[in-house]
Amino acid sequence: MKTFNQIVEELFGVKEENIKDELSSKDIPNWDSMNYLLFIAELEKEFSMSFSMDEVMNAQTLGDLRVLVEKNKK
Amino acid sequence: MNAKELSFDEIKVGDNASFYRVFMEDEVMKFAELSGDMNPLHTDISYAEGTQFKQRLVHGMLLGSLCSRFVGMCIPGKRCLYLSQNLSFKNPVFIGDEIEVVGTVIFKSEATKILTINIVMKKGKDVVVLGEAKVQVI
Repeated sequence: MKTFNQIVEELFGVKEENIKDELSSKDIPNWDSMNYLLFIAELEKEFSMSFSMDEVMNAQTLGDLRVLVEKNKK
Repeated sequence: MNAKELSFDEIKVGDNASFYRVFMEDEVMKFAELSGDMNPLHTDISYAEGTQFKQRLVHGMLLGSLCSRFVGMCIPGKRCLYLSQNLSFKNPVFIGDEIEVVGTVIFKSEATKILTINIVMKKGKDVVVLGEAKVQVI
């Protein structure tokens, strides 16, 4: 199974050593609307979870998304 | 041939579809012209005979185009927005080979309406192409 950071690197092109929770679409050039949807779908597939549309739309940073994954694991 | 028109809710994980396709010489030559890939392994009989394959190969991306047909015509069909595709070419396909294309929905993302579809192409029992498509159902 891929890790959260591996999916960030794969979809957003951010090297693992540069990944920080505060990064948002303003900091990551590849974080466009379509890539974001692919990122969400990949998180759901890899972690066997399902997010709501509100959760997806309210997340602003990588940290928000990491929290979302952890919350859905419980 | 009409495209299916499946909604996101109509599609379930495990749903699948399949079709067969044979690429003939004129189609390989047309693809060579369209793509600009005139590599002699696809277009020159005498060159291909001198290789380990002994005959001309169908372009990998011409086979890959069958993934486009699958998502655009089978699952989900008309409502498809093609987002991404990966491909691995496992074995050679020669002009005239019959290829079976089988696609299976392996994941549905409710929040994004994105399907992940596993696509396997076989020549007889041999896998020739493996691919994974991501499509949004619009």
